[in-house]
Amino acid sequence: MSSTVVPTERHDSPDENIRHREKGNRSFLGLKIVSTVAALIPVLALLAIVAVLLSESLPAIKLNGISFFTKFAWRPGGTYSLPTKTDGILHPVGSSFGIWPLLAGTLESSGIALLIAVPVSIGAALAVVKKLPKGLSTGVGFFLEILTGIPSVVYGLWGVMTLGPTLSRDVFPLIAKHAPSGFGFNFFKGNVGHGEGLITSGIILAIMVIPIISATTRDLLKQVPTLTEEGGMAIGMTDWETTKKITLPWVSKGVIGACILGLARALGETMAVAMVSGSVLGTIPSNLYSTFTTIAATIVSQLDSALTDGTGFYVKTLAETALVLMVITLLTNVAARLLVKRVSSSGLPVGRGV
Amino acid sequence: MFESASRGEVADTVPAEKGRSELYELDPSDIVLKTKSLTLGFGGSTVLDGVSLEFPRGSITSLIGPSGSGKTTFLRSLNRMNDGIRGYRRQGEVLLDSASIWDSAVNLLQLRRRVGMLFQRANPFPMSIRENVLVGVKAHGLAKRNDFDEITETLLKEVGLWKAVSDRLNGSPFSLSGGQQQLLCLARALAVRPEVLLLDEPTSALDPFSIELVENLIAKLAPKVTFVVVTHNLAQARRLSHATAFFFQGRLAEYGPTNKIFTAPSQLDTQRYVSGSIG
Repeated sequence: MSSTVVPTERHDSPDENIRHREKGNRSFLGLKIVSTVAALIPVLALLAIVAVLLSESLPAIKLNGISFFTKFAWRPGGTYSLPTKTDGILHPVGSSFGIWPLLAGTLESSGIALLIAVPVSIGAALAVVKKLPKGLSTGVGFFLEILTGIPSVVYGLWGVMTLGPTLSRDVFPLIAKHAPSGFGFNFFKGNVGHGEGLITSGIILAIMVIPIISATTRDLLKQVPTLTEEGGMAIGMTDWETTKKITLPWVSKGVIGACILGLARALGETMAVAMVSGSVLGTIPSNLYSTFTTIAATIVSQLDSALTDGTGFYVKTLAETALVLMVITLLTNVAARLLVKRVSSSGLPVGRGV
Repeated sequence: MFESASRGEVADTVPAEKGRSELYELDPSDIVLKTKSLTLGFGGSTVLDGVSLEFPRGSITSLIGPSGSGKTTFLRSLNRMNDGIRGYRRQGEVLLDSASIWDSAVNLLQLRRRVGMLFQRANPFPMSIRENVLVGVKAHGLAKRNDFDEITETLLKEVGLWKAVSDRLNGSPFSLSGGQQQLLCLARALAVRPEVLLLDEPTSALDPFSIELVENLIAKLAPKVTFVVVTHNLAQARRLSHATAFFFQGRLAEYGPTNKIFTAPSQLDTQRYVSGSIG
């Protein structure tokens, strides 16, 4: 058969037609193989990352031991003196690492971020879908989407230059002064610092997470059937009762998912937090305004000095730290799935139309 | 067969061929709901022009007519469901017990408690079956917590759902069949003790067996509750209602006792619609 077959000729004889299409079918098989391989790449990439992180951090895991999770210390040791060997692992003299303050800082700042972001996001989404006139609602929606695209370093810079100083001058002293005394509330009292610290990081994280949660929630709310909401109106429920009992339960599964997405973002956020946390290693925040640090921020801020450690032990410890962050994020996702499953098996149509 | 057996039972309670509307007497001077030259529209277009209708207490009135003739807009105006729709405008009056429903003294929530609605498709709320029944009762504070179980049972029995759902009151309403869901919505609407129920093609998404259940229920409830039913099912209008209003091209073309509308209409359009030559 000639290789320059004009398309019209193909259909002249049924035999040739079949042959051509069979050829096409074979190349479709090829496409299937290629796409299968392509689909496997993310899986392989994840496995490779875990494997490398594990093997790189293995010496650190061995030497730092279980007390890695309870210790406060973060001492790289003397990188200029001769290294020493413990249990066959080379490390600088006097090095000692504990991840507890970073872990606490990560969880606290992300927790604060969610506490602020969840109500604001759901409120914003409700306003955009239900309350605002159409033009304004489109505008607000547009700005919400733009917010997601702002690089985190810009948030960080804004936090350091404007938000932090303003809050610590005008707002934090008021909170510290008027917070009631007592066991739990002492966390709100004390030195308000200069704007770099836990609460500033929490607020910055919240601002970064709000667009994620509210955009998803908004899309979910748009899918709630009008007929169901009108059913609430028709038996004399108020707008708020309809929202609380019908609209929000209808989308709750999806909203929980969106919040977990936001939490994952907050847990792993690096640059902005590294800039506004104050990057203080080795202590956990004593009050709401204390300087602190998180796992992600520590990895990025300590990498340079870690690379100067000739034994490589500091970098290996950072790898172990990264591994912990990954496990936390993974656990968050698993917890989210279990939670969502539990909610949906309670018989409610949560997340219908998601 | 199970189905044919229960059909027989249901048919025994109300002899369908007799015409349910003839089972009890109405007091024509006792008007619960009344519209006075009601003109409705959205934006620049007028949907319905100058409709005056009266609904005697305990009556069943069918609103029939081709799609787009304004029946549903009319129905939804009777408990102010259109008020929130963009561009909605109205002239004329709707009087509930001789008082305008748009009067500033009228409490909107209270109005909707008194004038309830059942929709084209079942719209259960995302809560348990029991909560679906009780949601209105709780919102309006109509009963004490101790009575909730009894109210749930009474209402579900009233709509004939009790046997089917008594063992899963805390389960999801979405596991019920379409017909059962609509009955649940009816129980929910009845729970707030409405005086008038507006039904917007309540059986259009149901199978014949479920339609019969719903129709029998309406007929059974009618002396206590006044029904206004939008329907495309002419046979339904004929067997169910005391009076029928025929809407055509944005006007109330003809209104009268159901029997007369179907057997001796005065308008040519009505005659052509009910005989099936248009519509």
